[in-house]
This record gives sequence, structure tokens and C-alpha cells, in this order.
Amino acid sequence: MAAHLRSGLRTGIVLSIVTVFLVLIGFNVIAGGLIGDLLGHKDPASIELFGLTWAALDMLIFLGLLGVWAGAAGARHQSPDSWPGALLSGTLSGLLVGLMTAGLAYLLGSLAAAKVEVSRYLAALIPDSLRLFGLGMPVLQAALTYAWFFTACGLAGALLARGVVRAEWRRRLWTRLGARLGPAWARLTHQPVFHTPAARIVIYILVGVALLALPLRLGQFWNYTAGTVGIYVLLGLGLNIVVGLAGLLDLGYVAFFAIGAYTMALLTAPTPHHLMWSFWAALPMGVILAALAGILLGIPVLRMRGDYLAIVTLGFGEIIRVLSKSDALTKFSGGPRGVPAIGGPTFFGGRLSTDVGYVYLIVLGVLLVIFVTDRLQKSRVGRAWVAMREDETVAQAMGISTLRHKLLAFAIGAAFAGLGGALFAARNQFTGPEDHNLMVSINVLCLVIVGGMGSIPGVIAGAFVLKGLPEVLRQLQDYRILAFGALLVVMMIARPEGLIPSARRRLEIHGEQEETAPGGSPSAPGGGAS
Amino acid sequence: MDPIPSSRARLPVNAYRIAQVALAILVAGFILWRFTTVLRTTVFGPDTWIRFAIAGLILGSVYALIAIGYTLVYGILFMINFAHGDVMMIGAFGGYFVFEALRAVKVAGADGPISFLDAHVAISVLLAFAVGMTVASLSGFFLERIAYRPLRGAPRLVPLISAIGASIFLENAGQLLFGTQRRDYANPAVLTRGAGWTIPLGDGTIAVPYTGVFTVVLSVIIMIGLYTLVRRTRLGRAMRAVAENKPVAAQMGIDVDAVISRTFIISGALAGAAGVMWGIHLGLVYYFVGFLPGIKAFTAAVLGGIGSIPGAMLGGLFLGVVESIGPAILGIDFQLKDVIAFSILVLVLIFRPSGILGEVLTEEKV
Repeated sequence: MAAHLRSGLRTGIVLSIVTVFLVLIGFNVIAGGLIGDLLGHKDPASIELFGLTWAALDMLIFLGLLGVWAGAAGARHQSPDSWPGALLSGTLSGLLVGLMTAGLAYLLGSLAAAKVEVSRYLAALIPDSLRLFGLGMPVLQAALTYAWFFTACGLAGALLARGVVRAEWRRRLWTRLGARLGPAWARLTHQPVFHTPAARIVIYILVGVALLALPLRLGQFWNYTAGTVGIYVLLGLGLNIVVGLAGLLDLGYVAFFAIGAYTMALLTAPTPHHLMWSFWAALPMGVILAALAGILLGIPVLRMRGDYLAIVTLGFGEIIRVLSKSDALTKFSGGPRGVPAIGGPTFFGGRLSTDVGYVYLIVLGVLLVIFVTDRLQKSRVGRAWVAMREDETVAQAMGISTLRHKLLAFAIGAAFAGLGGALFAARNQFTGPEDHNLMVSINVLCLVIVGGMGSIPGVIAGAFVLKGLPEVLRQLQDYRILAFGALLVVMMIARPEGLIPSARRRLEIHGEQEETAPGGSPSAPGGGAS
Repeated sequence: MDPIPSSRARLPVNAYRIAQVALAILVAGFILWRFTTVLRTTVFGPDTWIRFAIAGLILGSVYALIAIGYTLVYGILFMINFAHGDVMMIGAFGGYFVFEALRAVKVAGADGPISFLDAHVAISVLLAFAVGMTVASLSGFFLERIAYRPLRGAPRLVPLISAIGASIFLENAGQLLFGTQRRDYANPAVLTRGAGWTIPLGDGTIAVPYTGVFTVVLSVIIMIGLYTLVRRTRLGRAMRAVAENKPVAAQMGIDVDAVISRTFIISGALAGAAGVMWGIHLGLVYYFVGFLPGIKAFTAAVLGGIGSIPGAMLGGLFLGVVESIGPAILGIDFQLKDVIAFSILVLVLIFRPSGILGEVLTEEKV
């Protein structure tokens, strides 16, 4: 019994902290709105059930899901496995979340009643959110509602966890399904037809037709989004070489993006220099200058690794940003106001300026970079990078010049970023210091890591998940970066090799774990966070 | 930890040396050029220089407190606690809310009701520091438990990325909770920002702000306390033992996990104190407030020799002064003072990675 109480208590405390945090950042309101959209509630202010509005009910659905989670999590992993024990700890966990939420509702309700301007201190709690969270009831009644509501949800969660998730029949169903479907799937994918050159050509043609046809069907907004995703694929593939293949953690990657963008801007725009180069001449210049900058940064940091390299490159990126923002360089690079009216590409005499055109251009760039990356990865150079990442000393003993390969990794990674930056500047027809802040580096790093370091499909998938998905879920825009941060931590704990890892990387990470687990620290990677 | 033999010979020494010397000449040349230009055209009298130095010392003592946190953690885990600056931000907000709450509480004063903040300055300030340090050390504790501990023994890049993720999370949690606007610390009237002694010197005066003196004195007290803790107490000895060699320390009966937890709590408390000082002296507190001081304090820790506590203190003070005087000496825009700090970081790592006071830094750590 004591073990069950402890388990319920622990889960309850963790989940109530999570719930309070979500309420304080206003996530319950946004999530309720999303649920309302999903359920097709047209008029959120109309009163429906128990004197509650749709908006309040939708928010309660979201909070209820949290309560169910609390109950289910409390009921899982019981050492003396029993029905009453599981229900007890699940309900206790729900009750704790309920009490915390009730306390919060009471506190916020009283503050609002005392005419304290809560949103002055907690930005998300604007009066509308507070009213919604108060359920339109007297303060005490709302608090009590929350308390019993969460307790009930906890009980429901415990029932669900004990009755369905951990039940014998479900396990048997899974094994049986697995036994049937696994071989069938394997048979399907291992058909020899799929591995003939002809099949591959058919697939390429299909993908090609899709890439050609799709931009014509999408509207302006989606083409813009697709272009952004494409540019992030470019950046991701570049950083993938530096971080994923060569193992050099570069946090100042945005510097090369900025160099590409500013080269394009300064060479083609009428202000501040009036050079008016054509796009096609400025593009290679941007790439070359970025690669040169990569080498220049590479030389001094050759001997550093890991954390030091990360901080120094972070500093380098910040230097570039501070410089581009300062008044000292306004005459040269436009200063804080940036460079407007950047020239676009001309194509057989015609100016390419539609969104569709830019999507084609970016897709072309992405395909080129994918091709280069793929060939590099499979070449002697790529193998040298991987060897260097794994163990520099051994790599050197094998006759690999770490100097040359590190510089090469920096240069090629920077060149890709320069290409991305040049395309970005040309498409937006504007570039300024705020386009090149630290968040770009962080975003790119996230997508490489989430997708899978060293894996080309991983990077593409990562770009779609991290840059495309937030555009689809625009309501969640504000919470995107918060989620990135949490995602990085969770990925490192649960799946450090990424969503679509390269085969080699997966082997490395899991191989290492097996080696270190017995003799190493007691808490091996993969242990859950409590 | 995979041992990597330390040797410079692994890289082509000549190419590296040549690059190093060329860079040294370039940097020295630049500084000399700017310096001589400034000396010829200077507009600053000695009072201005001293004012810069004082501002630098005050800022430097805050950097020093944060830098100690980096050094403590790095000494034990060989990882940069990337989220350390954001722990400072949390501490700063803790103090902010205490001041706001106490300002709202009215007590009877000599002439009419005055706020608790002005009536009981010592208690208010003490309370602000207590709360700020507590929330910061709690966040340090949870940070280690959630983001770092499960990754102990993983390849080096893994905890570092996790730390970056934690830093992003904390910054954005701060933004979502407290909004984007910069907030002014509501100091007690005695500690009004800008008020202070003025000392005449030459044809100008030097202003010594009360908040600055308060900051420096308090941070010196805290640093002495910490030094005593590490040198004289059981916990300090355990910390040093764990930093030296974890397996052996464990065999001597030291609970390594507990020591690491406590290290994070201590460094969090220091960062929290630094955050409250930052708020009291500079006033502006917002979600991103920890980022730059965090990086600069890391620079300070590297400058002093990472792993060394006196080094971190010295590095912090040095960096604060250089950052404050640097733009004037070099005659460059004050907007570029952050560039100076970053350049120092890069240069130190290139020319003397062991820092001023550091032990010889093996290549494993670099």
C-alpha cells in the first residue's frame, strides 16, 4: 500500500507542476481553442452544458486529458501489481493535480476579484484567460470543480492504464498482430521488384513530377512556407556535415548564413553600394565567401572540441550579429535597418519573381546539395569525417589529415549555408540583422538532431517537422521554441540518434551504451527523468 | 570518458603555429594602432577612466559569481552548464517578485503609511536574496536531475545538446510566463539606482553608486563563504574528491550523485544571488537577461582557468573591467563592447587555454 501511495504522490507532484506551468503560460486556453476547432465549435461563447461555455468545456477537455495522464502514469509500473493499488495511486495522483489546480484557480480568482492586474506580472494571464480559467463560477466553486474533476479523471486514467494498457489481452493482441504483420511487411518491402534500377527510376520520376506539379497547386502562403522549409533543409544539410559527420558542434552557423545573405544583398541591391550585380553572379560569390569564412573560422578553432568549440562558434555568430547591427558598419551593410530591394534572378531574359519560381529554385538547390552530400558521405572524405568524429587519435593513426578534413567540413558546411542565405535574401528581397539571430543556429541544430545526425532523410524530415509543422499549427506559434528546447532534452534522453538515424549512427549509439552500461555510472542513458 | 592523449604533435604544428603567430601580430597591431590613435585624440580625463573602472569592477563581481558556477560544474562533470545564465534569470525574477510584493505591503511609518520595502530595508533585501537564491538553486537541482543525470556516461556531445535544449526551454518559459517587456526592479529608496557618493577628482567627480558598493561587498562576502565551504567543509572535500576522480571517490564512500546534486544547488544559489544583484544594480530584468552575462561569465571562467575558483573570481573582475574600459581604450563604439568579450574568449582559447590560474588543461577538456 505504501508503495502505491508513494507512486501516486510522486506522479501527482510532477504532473501538478506541469499542469500549473501550462496554465501559467496560457497553454490551456490555446489548447482548448484547438480542441474547439477540432470539434467544430462555431460559437465558443455560447453556454452549453452545466452552465459552461464551449470554450470552457474545450479547455476542461484538455485539462481532463492531463488528469487522465496523471492517473495513468500513477497507476503504471506498480511493483505489487493489483487492481485496488493501481486505482488508489492513480486517483491519488489525480487528486493532487486537482488540489494544485484548485489552489491556483482560487488564488488567481481572488487576485482578479481584488482587481490586481495579474497580466502585469504573468503575461499570459490576461483577463479573458482568467475568466475562462475561472469557469464563470464563484471562486470557491470553480476550485472545488477542479478538485473533483481531476480526481475523477485520475481514476479514469488509472482504470484505463490497468484495464487496457497493461491488460493481458492487449499484450496478446500485440504479439499476435506483430507475428502476422511483421513478416507480411517484410515480404512487401523486400520484393525484388523494388530493388531494380527500373523501379528506382520510376520512383525518381514520381518524386520529380510531384516536385514540379505541387508548387503550382499550392497557394502563395504554402509556397512561401515550402521555400522556408527548403532553405532550412539546405542549412540542415550543411550543419549535418559539420556536426553530424565531422562531429564539430557549431553554434555560430548563422554567421555563414548571414554572409551568404549579405553578399547577395550588397552585390545586387541599389543601396548602399549600387553594385547591381546579377543574381547569378552574386550567388556563387555568396557561396565562396561563406566557404572562405568557414575556413577562416576553422583555423583558430582546430584544436578545440566539444563544448569549447560550441561556445567559440556561438561567440563568432554573435560577433557577426552585433557587427551587422551596430552603427559602425551602417555605411557598409545597412546597419540595423538592413538592405532592401535585393535583386532576384533573371531567367532567359524574364525576371523570376513568383513564389512558384522561387520554390523551383530552392528545390533545385536542395537537390544539388543532397547530391553533393550523398556523394561526399560515401566518399573517402566522408569516411574520414566519421572516423575523425569517433576518435581523432585513431583516425590520425590511420593516416587521415584531421587538419584538412576539419577545414573541409567547415568550408563545405559554410558553403551550403551561404547558398541558403543567398537564396533567402533574394527571395525575401530584404535582409537585416534580425534575420540572422541566434535562433537560426538553434533551429538548424534542432532539426539536424531531431531528424538524426548524419542522415540525409533525417535532416529533410527534421526540417518539415520543425519548420513546416509550426506553420500548420499557427496557434501554437508562441510555444514552438519552448517545445524545441524540451524536444532537445527529451531526444537526448530517449533517442539520441534522431528520428531517422543513419544506420551507422544507430549502431554507434547503441553499441556505446552496451559497452558503458555495466562498468559505467549506475544511471545509464535511457533511464527516465523523474 | 575516453582518454585522448594530449599532444600537440597530432596536428601539423607548423601550420597551426604560423596561424597563431600571424593572429597574435594582427591583434597586437590592431590594439596598438587603436591605442595610439586614442592617446593622441583622447577626450577622457582621469576621472572618466576611474568611473569606467568602477563600473567594470561592479559588473565584474557579478560575472565572478556566475563564473564560479560554471567552474564548479565544469570541474566535476567536464561539461558547460549552458543553462547557467538562465538560472541566473530565474533568480533575478525571484528577487523582483519579492520586491514587488513588499512594495505593495503598507506599514505605519513616521508620517503616514509607507511600504514595507522602505520601512525594513535589511529584511526586504535579505528576503529577496533568500527567495532568489532558493528558486535558482531549485532550478539548478531540477536541471541536473532532469536534463543531465540521465545522460551521464553518454558521448560528450549528448549532454551538451541537452544543456542547450534546457537553456532554450528556460528562456522561453521565462518569456511565456513573464512576457517580453523589461522590468525595473523596485529598489528600496535607500538603494535607489544612480544615487551614491561623489568624490571630486581633478576637474571632474567620480560617482560611486550605493548599489554598486552593495554589490561588490556582498559578492566578496559570498565568494569568501564559498571558498571556505570548498576548502574547509566535508562537502567541499567531497566535491574536490569527485572532481579529481569519480570512481575512486565513490570507492572512498562518497555519494557521487548527491555531491553532484549539491554542486548544482550551490552554483544555482550563486547565480541566483548574481541575478538579484544584477536587478538591484542595473534594474532591467527580462527573460533573456541571463544570456549575455552567462556567456561572459563563461568567458571569465575560461580566462581564469576553468576548474579553478580563484581563477573564476579573478577572470570575472578582469573581464568586467576590460569590457568597461575596452571600448574607450580602443576608441570603438560602445555598442561593440560585447564583441570585446567574445574576442577575449576566442583569443584566450587559442593562446592560453589553461587560463590565468588554470591547471594545465589537458586536451581532453579542450
